[in-house]
Amino acid sequence: MWLWNKIKQLAISFRAGMVTLHYPFEPRPAPEGFRGQPVWDHTKCIGCAGCASHCPARTIFLRDICQELRILLYDSSRCTYCGRCADLCPEKAITMSDKFELATDNRQDITQSLELFMMTCQRCGRCYDLEIKNYIDRLSSLGYRYDSLEARKVIRRSTADFSPEELEKTVTYERPGRLEK
Amino acid sequence: MSRKEELVRWLEKELDGNFISAEATIPGRLFIDLKREALSAAATGLMNRGARYQVGVGYDARKSGQGFGLVHTFAFDKDSLLVALRTFAPEDDPEFDSLTPLIPGAGWSEREYQDLLGLRFRNHPNPRRLVLSDDWPEGIYPLRREVPHDLMPPAAEEVAFRLEEAPPGTSIVPLGPFHASLHEPAHFSVYVDGEDIKGCEYRGFMTHRGIEKLAQTELTYNDVPFVAERICGICGSVHSVNYAQAVEAAAGLRIPRRAEFIRMVALELERLHSHLLWLGVAGHLIGFDTVFMQAWRIREKIMWLAERLTGNRKTYGMVIIGGVRRDINQDRSEDIRAVLKEVEREMLALEKAILKDRTIHKRTRGVGYLSREEAVKWNLIGPVARARGVDMDARRDHPYAAYDEVQFEVPLADSGDVWGTLVVRVKEVYEAIKIINQCLDKLEKLPKNEPLSVDLEGPIPAGRQGLSLVEAPRGEAVHYVLTGEENRPERWRVRAPTYPNLQAVPSMLLNNKLADFPIIVGSIDPCISCTDRVLVVERRSGKARLLSGQELENLSRGKRSKK
Ligand code: SF4
Ligand code: SF4
Repeated sequence: MWLWNKIKQLAISFRAGMVTLHYPFEPRPAPEGFRGQPVWDHTKCIGCAGCASHCPARTIFLRDICQELRILLYDSSRCTYCGRCADLCPEKAITMSDKFELATDNRQDITQSLELFMMTCQRCGRCYDLEIKNYIDRLSSLGYRYDSLEARKVIRRSTADFSPEELEKTVTYERPGRLEK
Repeated sequence: MSRKEELVRWLEKELDGNFISAEATIPGRLFIDLKREALSAAATGLMNRGARYQVGVGYDARKSGQGFGLVHTFAFDKDSLLVALRTFAPEDDPEFDSLTPLIPGAGWSEREYQDLLGLRFRNHPNPRRLVLSDDWPEGIYPLRREVPHDLMPPAAEEVAFRLEEAPPGTSIVPLGPFHASLHEPAHFSVYVDGEDIKGCEYRGFMTHRGIEKLAQTELTYNDVPFVAERICGICGSVHSVNYAQAVEAAAGLRIPRRAEFIRMVALELERLHSHLLWLGVAGHLIGFDTVFMQAWRIREKIMWLAERLTGNRKTYGMVIIGGVRRDINQDRSEDIRAVLKEVEREMLALEKAILKDRTIHKRTRGVGYLSREEAVKWNLIGPVARARGVDMDARRDHPYAAYDEVQFEVPLADSGDVWGTLVVRVKEVYEAIKIINQCLDKLEKLPKNEPLSVDLEGPIPAGRQGLSLVEAPRGEAVHYVLTGEENRPERWRVRAPTYPNLQAVPSMLLNNKLADFPIIVGSIDPCISCTDRVLVVERRSGKARLLSGQELENLSRGKRSKK
């Protein structure tokens, strides 16, 4: 009985053979749909901070360094690769890449920072992207935090107050060129 | 008359003026408010009626002027009913009657709130520190509202860990905090007489991560599932599903059917790989490494499958409040079926080759024996209880998701030892495969374009209670949520399955050989990371002959300062 069991075990082990991969000498590509390190597309991001306020690890930071310049900093060292940011971005500026070999001795290797040009609202003095306006509306995508609807209302109100006369005056203002899409 | 009505009527009559209110939020739940004088009378009554104690939840209710709240939850498995008794004590006199003399399994919960909230328990038989380290300053109670979540008081010098004296005629063998047979930090000081174990003292809670406090102060409802998933290194979905269910119950949200089945697939996949992992570890602990290698080889197929389905091997990230994030479409469902078929075939072959092997029998039969009565007394759960003939399974007794629509068996054993837990777990592997296949059948029949999640219609009102169970691979996990303001839970309590099971380990060890220590502790599949999730990260000052407090401190502080 004992011997018979051992023979069976041997057979199983032999049939399986060696299953260990020759990784890292041979690459092991990640499957489709893998949630690796998120990557930002600079040209698409509108600086709405949707990703930052939904990141469970709180590892995306947005700061206004002056009236027109907003910095988005993503620090991968605390990222949990949940993909929440990519889900919520209204502009689809974030993709979950297949990068998973992220061990490094230099933190800069795994951070990403974007400098976003935000135009100042001529009326209220706050940053608002007039070039591609109304994108804020798209924020009510799936799972968007309910309490942020309040914030949306505030922005709506300020645009509604923008009188046609005021708007006409701004036509002569210089604006940055449109992004080619 | 249903059990629910009977209980309410009896409590009203028995407790008279001490009964405040009863609320039945969803079927199978009963939330009762009492005056604190009546707590032990009510608990005694419930236990006499066949209830099983689950967990205590303490919370800081001073903001609403109610002092401190304490909730004890009980399960009636036969009636699919969970009962929560809530009492309050004023801030200047936070004392409750201890339930521990009546229910030994309540001991840890009460000691936890003594440490974390500064509650006091009258007549607690062993009111020592449990959760906080020995050099934590007196009078700082981390779960209180005014204590910030990242508080780190300076460590005291030369504070020795207070262990109990060994009983006369025995000597102490310290095992842990880091020991080859323990995969996570825990300390057992084992009293031995020669080779025989005569007793043991457990000291754990060394790696607190403060997850509950974090959720109550920093995160929002929809952030928590992704953090909850990281409570455990094996059964992440258990906690995220459980949390989401508790919030959904509190908010009165019904998730789409498709999402229910997808959650079940994720949960059962976890059970599969968890049991295979355990089988491997158990083989390794008794020195039978063929089992270890082969079980883990089979397990790897499931890990890769999960990676294809969800985007990650272990942290599935599938669950949000109101549903799931990814679909299981036709292609994926065929992929699952193919992998499961192979796993089942390989598992059968492995089972045939090892279950009759003398090595396993010699090392597991009669080892770590605990009688059925003891198991009930200690409120053991999961495979550890089922190996002692206790017929319980939250999936069948308190069906959640769509478990009432699938057929499965609840395997039992009556040997009461480590062998029993092995048999139960191996059988559960096949049951899990059966459940997944049924879920896939149902998914294929459901309309394809159904949304995967539903949205909330408004903010979740504050002050609602939600209680949820999920049968994790190691036993039932309990989540209690009290909704709060600011879009986050006021209180979120996680009771992982290892919490009650670990409390009974000293009884299991009694009169066994020291050499069997690893497999006995291993037989409950202890998940220290689940159990130790409660509060502020702290090191423990070790005994001088283990590793001095200062050394530990230097290690942990060193790591921190590099950040
Ligand atoms: S993947 Fe998750 S944790 Fe990482 S940045 Fe995005 S939201 Fe944050
Ligand atoms: S959510 Fe998208 S658009 Fe908004 S800040 Fe983040 S990356 Fe930019």
